[in-house]
Amino acid sequence: MSKNAAQWSAPPKFPASHYVDSRIYTDQEIFDEEKEKLFRPAWSIACHESELQAPYDYRLFTHPAGVPLIIVRGDDQKVRAFYNICPHRGNTILYDPAGNAKRMTCIFHQWAYDTRGNCVEITRGEQGYQDRFCKEDAALREARCEVAYGGFVWVNVMDESPSLREFVGGALDILDPFMQQPMEVFHFHKALIRTNFKLWHDTNSEFYHDFLHYFNRITGMMQPGYYERKYTPFANGHATVGSMQIQYDKYEGSKERAVGWPGMARGGWYMVDLFPGMTYNLRTSVMRIDTSIPISPNEVLIEFRGLGLKSDSAEERKQRVFDHNMIWGPFGRNLHEDLLGVTGQGRALRPGTDSRYLLHGREENNTIHDEVGMRHYYAEWSKRMERPAYDPYREGKPEVRAAA
Amino acid sequence: MIKSEDRQAIEELVYRSCLALDARDYKTFLGLCDPGFRYTVTTHSPEIRREMVWLDHDRKGMETLFANLPKHNSDHSPITRHATVYTVDAAGDSAEVVSALQVFRTQLDGGATELFAVGRFHDTVKLANGAATLARRIVRLETRQLGYGHHIPF
Repeated sequence: MSKNAAQWSAPPKFPASHYVDSRIYTDQEIFDEEKEKLFRPAWSIACHESELQAPYDYRLFTHPAGVPLIIVRGDDQKVRAFYNICPHRGNTILYDPAGNAKRMTCIFHQWAYDTRGNCVEITRGEQGYQDRFCKEDAALREARCEVAYGGFVWVNVMDESPSLREFVGGALDILDPFMQQPMEVFHFHKALIRTNFKLWHDTNSEFYHDFLHYFNRITGMMQPGYYERKYTPFANGHATVGSMQIQYDKYEGSKERAVGWPGMARGGWYMVDLFPGMTYNLRTSVMRIDTSIPISPNEVLIEFRGLGLKSDSAEERKQRVFDHNMIWGPFGRNLHEDLLGVTGQGRALRPGTDSRYLLHGREENNTIHDEVGMRHYYAEWSKRMERPAYDPYREGKPEVRAAA
Repeated sequence: MIKSEDRQAIEELVYRSCLALDARDYKTFLGLCDPGFRYTVTTHSPEIRREMVWLDHDRKGMETLFANLPKHNSDHSPITRHATVYTVDAAGDSAEVVSALQVFRTQLDGGATELFAVGRFHDTVKLANGAATLARRIVRLETRQLGYGHHIPF
């Protein structure tokens, strides 16, 4: 039987931890708060060290909290991060998304900076500022930066927040044996998707939606071991998914992945979801990294990277690229389906659609179709936001709201 | 200098390939292709400063890709390919053909059309007895943000 308005608005018959109020995906107030409370204190993956191979190589990255950053390898090989904002008149310093710049020069008035953040040139400085302002006063704002966990460049724009080690905790331990060899990025693309960033992370955090993917049904869900894959929650809202042997040859046009990954069992597949919006995804022959950059309550820019091993032969790399593209490229079978799915959520959850609750209620002993990954994420979300995800405005039960 | 009838056959081949794919008439598209046909989508990333391959299939791979489409969940919005043959460089019984490509996507609900992608076709065309067949197609994309992507090759 269908529901009337009152029934539709009633909370689900689950514990409050097993559903969320849909306004956490649509409200501007909550979105603005998320950028400050979730993203600003968090460590974010800006790029991979293979994108900065030579001294003075730089890469631009828009931090999920909104800060434009320059990631640059210095003459001392150290990778540092600086705001891409000239301290003179607030202009963008570097425009191209990547390059090599011994001096980073603002085009506006030609103030220049070295790769350690020092200002090395103020044009006609003495004439204009006399002894009131000098190059030492005009250094760049530096953000914390570390290369770790597979050679990824992590940044944090807050001076005071937990260390990267504290932030990650043990969440990436499951991948540690597979990240001992240097990796190299071979694929990068961005997708601007009309959905809330959390809905993309939700999709990466639950496998029940394998029903969406013919490829995953035929190569995974219908194969032995699928329902034994387990979620493991970690501190700070992270979660991992254990492996199984994916039967790639069950999909027409695919075959058993000939190029594997050092140390990984044949057909293996591990995932690590990192709060609030990153995912490591190692699927037999390819590492994929998703980094979400929230744009608005209903827009997220996702950066997708595909990586192989730096030691790959040309043939091995070609095979990894093929494997990547089969499901994960912009023309791949699975990525299109996943992105269509969350776009549909974005469409249905716009303000005014009268959507009320999203269910996270599946309990299957933490195995693959259990929704514990999302529940764990929203427990952390609620703690950091100081709002329960099931009742973000602390309105109480509907009957209480009606009486108020 | 290429004969005008060969140039005409080549242009018609390029345009018919677009019409067939627009119509999702894969049998007709493959009928325009040589048995040794290969199809590749490439682009350059200024972000990672690398050439990238986004799709690469031989003829058999393309046949399988098309055959698998009904099993997948795909965006059903029609796309329209607009090609203009720019240059034809003939050498013996084949020709290298460069065409400008624009791809438009039209929403099913309401019919709004948006530019989806721009790029070029770099085709190798075989010529025999006045007929032209597609031996190689490299779709060189300029556009790299394709939103939720697409299951059907351009």
